[in-house]
Amino acid sequence: MSLELKPKRWAGAIREVTLGSGSRRPVTVGGGNGLPLHTFEASFPHRPVFALEITDVAPPRWIDTVRQPWNGVLGQPAAAARRAVDEFGADLVMLHLMGTHPDRGNRSPDDAAADVRAVLESVRVPLIVKGPGAGPKQNDVLARVAEECQGEGLVLHSACQEEYKTLAAVAVAYGHVLVAESPIDMNIAKQLNILLSDASMDLRHTLIDPLTGGLGYGLEYTYSVMERIRLAALGGDAMLSSPMICLVGEEAWKAKEVKVSGGVHWEVATALTLIEAGAEVLVLRHPEALARLRKQVDCWFGGETCR
Amino acid sequence: MSKIIAEAAIRGAYACMNRAEAMLSEAIHRHGRAKSIAFPDTAYALPVILALVGKRVEKLGDLEEALQVARTWLPAPPTEKLWLPYLGGTLDAGAATLVAHEAVEAMKPRLAFDFWLGPTPDSILREQGIKLVDGRMPGFAACVGAAPSDEVAEQLARDLQERNILVFMGGNTGGETMAAQLNRRGVEMNWETFLVPYGPDTSSIVHALGFACRAAFTFGGLRPGGIKETREILLYNKRRVMAFVLALGEVDDEKYATAAGAINFGFPVIADTDIPEILPSGICTYEHVVANVAHRDMPSRAVEVRGVKIRTVEIPIPVRHGPAFEGERVRKEDVAVEFGGKYTRCFEYLTSRPMDRLQDGLIRVVGPEIADVPEGARLPLAIFVEVAGRKMQPEFESILERHIHSFLSEPMGVMHLGQRDSVWLRISKKARDAGFRIEHLGTVLLHKLRNDFPAIVDKVQVTLFTGSDDVEKLYPEAAAAYQHRDERMGALTDESVDIFYSCALCQSYAPNHVCIITPERLGLCGAYNWLDGKAAYEMNPHGGNLPVKKVEVVDPVLGQWKGINDFIQNASNGAFLKFSAYSMINDPMTSCGCFECIACILPGTGGIMIVDREFSGQTPVGMTFSSLAEMTGGGQQTPGFIGIGTLYILSKKFISADGGLARLVWTTTRVKQKLGDKLRQRCEEIGQPELYGKIADETICTELEPLIEHLAAVEHPALALGEMI
Repeated sequence: MSLELKPKRWAGAIREVTLGSGSRRPVTVGGGNGLPLHTFEASFPHRPVFALEITDVAPPRWIDTVRQPWNGVLGQPAAAARRAVDEFGADLVMLHLMGTHPDRGNRSPDDAAADVRAVLESVRVPLIVKGPGAGPKQNDVLARVAEECQGEGLVLHSACQEEYKTLAAVAVAYGHVLVAESPIDMNIAKQLNILLSDASMDLRHTLIDPLTGGLGYGLEYTYSVMERIRLAALGGDAMLSSPMICLVGEEAWKAKEVKVSGGVHWEVATALTLIEAGAEVLVLRHPEALARLRKQVDCWFGGETCR
Repeated sequence: MSKIIAEAAIRGAYACMNRAEAMLSEAIHRHGRAKSIAFPDTAYALPVILALVGKRVEKLGDLEEALQVARTWLPAPPTEKLWLPYLGGTLDAGAATLVAHEAVEAMKPRLAFDFWLGPTPDSILREQGIKLVDGRMPGFAACVGAAPSDEVAEQLARDLQERNILVFMGGNTGGETMAAQLNRRGVEMNWETFLVPYGPDTSSIVHALGFACRAAFTFGGLRPGGIKETREILLYNKRRVMAFVLALGEVDDEKYATAAGAINFGFPVIADTDIPEILPSGICTYEHVVANVAHRDMPSRAVEVRGVKIRTVEIPIPVRHGPAFEGERVRKEDVAVEFGGKYTRCFEYLTSRPMDRLQDGLIRVVGPEIADVPEGARLPLAIFVEVAGRKMQPEFESILERHIHSFLSEPMGVMHLGQRDSVWLRISKKARDAGFRIEHLGTVLLHKLRNDFPAIVDKVQVTLFTGSDDVEKLYPEAAAAYQHRDERMGALTDESVDIFYSCALCQSYAPNHVCIITPERLGLCGAYNWLDGKAAYEMNPHGGNLPVKKVEVVDPVLGQWKGINDFIQNASNGAFLKFSAYSMINDPMTSCGCFECIACILPGTGGIMIVDREFSGQTPVGMTFSSLAEMTGGGQQTPGFIGIGTLYILSKKFISADGGLARLVWTTTRVKQKLGDKLRQRCEEIGQPELYGKIADETICTELEPLIEHLAAVEHPALALGEMI
């Protein structure tokens, strides 16, 4: 007797969001109408995509394992971006403007805009731009970048509950996508999206960052909040149906364990779990992790037999 | 709307329109319809016309069409016989006036002269407009006319600057202009100083509205088009661009017409002359036209009428402050001055006043300051806080007052314990040496109240009485207020209100859980009662607390209402169909995990037990608190098990559907101590004064068998009530 699966139909679906415009080759994420990876009962027009993280200055805290693939281009965003795309096959690049942080170089908004411009000129993939962290400096930096790169559909990371008005205004004014970050809290994720739409943001231009806990450092927390967000979205809650982005590399490479061995495993394990929870944009640091995850995702979605 | 204003505005609108049309026909006659027309450096053509008419004017011919459209908005002038309606017609006349003004400004030869800046280029709009939208700049003032003297003009400009408010200036009063007045005072006017003079004609103030329209286009992502788009643009301005008009000097017909135009944007008019007022709200958030305001009061009155919220970034006190210093102790040997404790009378009392009765920001110390007394002195203290706010309600007084504790715990070197008239406050020598004075307690309260409760607090005034006579004189009033509040809370019943509040703050980890907070059943965490829910909603309508209408009663005994059940179905994602407010057996409310106590039935006793979170031992039901929590929490409906806030035990509605307080057979000594006399009193109220003594606790037993024996021995009333299920 054969088992007949009864497909689960949901009231809602994940919103499609297109990253990159203007001179970018756009990448669209979202659009799925079922639980993550339930390809047997739901349709997923877009696979999860992978970004590699590059930095404006040489990242002081990256350990050797993750620096090694970037030898010679660390702190050179244009060259690093080219390597990320041409050699490592990243779908997107995330430029982390860590050097603009007041305590880590305090580089100016104009410096930041020049870096972003340089990366835009060196690659054609959509660009995620991460500021130095919530606060007045982040607003100044990202507002300047947004203005400089009008119409490029940058993904600005990120607005939070306390600081969202400036970034919402510039995202609207200059045609960018905005990441709404909430501290592993579904209520705040929802509230922030309400606030953003109230601030004239079209939710077709937002992503949710549920805040990633790395493997062994709160991953299960992130997992269940993402699961909850996804269930609510599929249940028809439009304020939670934005696709989710996770900064995997940043968290995975913070773990004490990666210093001993197997940093790449750590990043892959974290990312796989998050994909299962519904992450659709994953920002990684190690190209080897990207290659392995890509293979897995292709297996899942390509219908080939996986081993 | 005042007939006088309506008549004047409509007359003015006709005059402005006639002038614009005359200028246009001459311009067309001279240059032809194909002649281009534009403001410099903007992608928004003539922005007010773009917003209101939905037409991009690039040539004189386009302008002609725009003016034709605007002329159709002009209503027939009111006559002796026609009294109503005026509002719509006057607003339309105002809109037409703005179109005419912008046409005039665009056709006028642009001369760079004196200090006038003229139209604003897009680059400045992008830099400054975003500050209006994201709140860094609280708003802008469009000043029309001139002040009675140069000094008054400068004072007004400084007062606005101090509040970070952008100042646009335009128009004149009998030939005099505010910009000329400032110029004579040597005041620098440009975009850096936030003082922007547009031009000497009334029409020039249209640039301020053009600025507002362009902000809506740029940062609101709004597009011009038909009437629907125009409405969106105006609403955006009402909600996001906190602007107002200051009418200085005589208000002539054209100024009335211009003001009517501004009201379309939700920008109210504050005048220094005695013109008719338009007080009821409608288009603007609050009043539309407020007259006869003294120049000194204009900024604060305008801020209030427009509902502008100004935040302090840094509280100006000489010591560090923040939640990190909460709970800090100031030891006896480090005390510079102390109040209350068991030594002197020390109380805090917060009350609300009408808006016009307070001087915002006034802090007074009445009696000795810290420098006037010897080290280690013990003074009496009355912390008297008066607040006013558009949305302030007397019910919120106690909520704000309760926050005084955390606010005054935040400065380093200040210790604050207790509340109401049981306050104990110490200021350390270190804080005093750093310059901290008694007055600074007021500074902290002022800024914290304004910053943390912007939705309900607009004005704060603090008086610190440190003289015995004054303190004793104020005390009876405070004591009466405390008593009054307690009585009010006591009188607040589930039947007396139409609305309960939901709390979904815990849905992050208890996905389908939602609390319903009623006046007689506080949230199970003990942190939120009905008033807190009400205040939280008032302060943040997008937050976790929403008002829920009861609608009709489904079951008065169980405590079920149609509106509540409908809400529960939705909020629990369809997991639950109904909730009983007064039963732990039939459709009990779910519990997240934050409950202060767990109440559960004890089979064989006819009663229930209540265990508090701190109690780590075994209980008569055979489970510890943590094992019970697993059964009760997580948003499940488990008949016989509920999480509760400790104070719910004292409520008349405490499991009233199941037999009420008489069911309580066992609880912990901690719960008994916490409730103490109030629990004894409740026992008396239900006619069983001896019940208190019959309720067992862990000192009597922690197992079921001995408990049943005990209950039989003391003849606990629960035994007679029969089993609950």
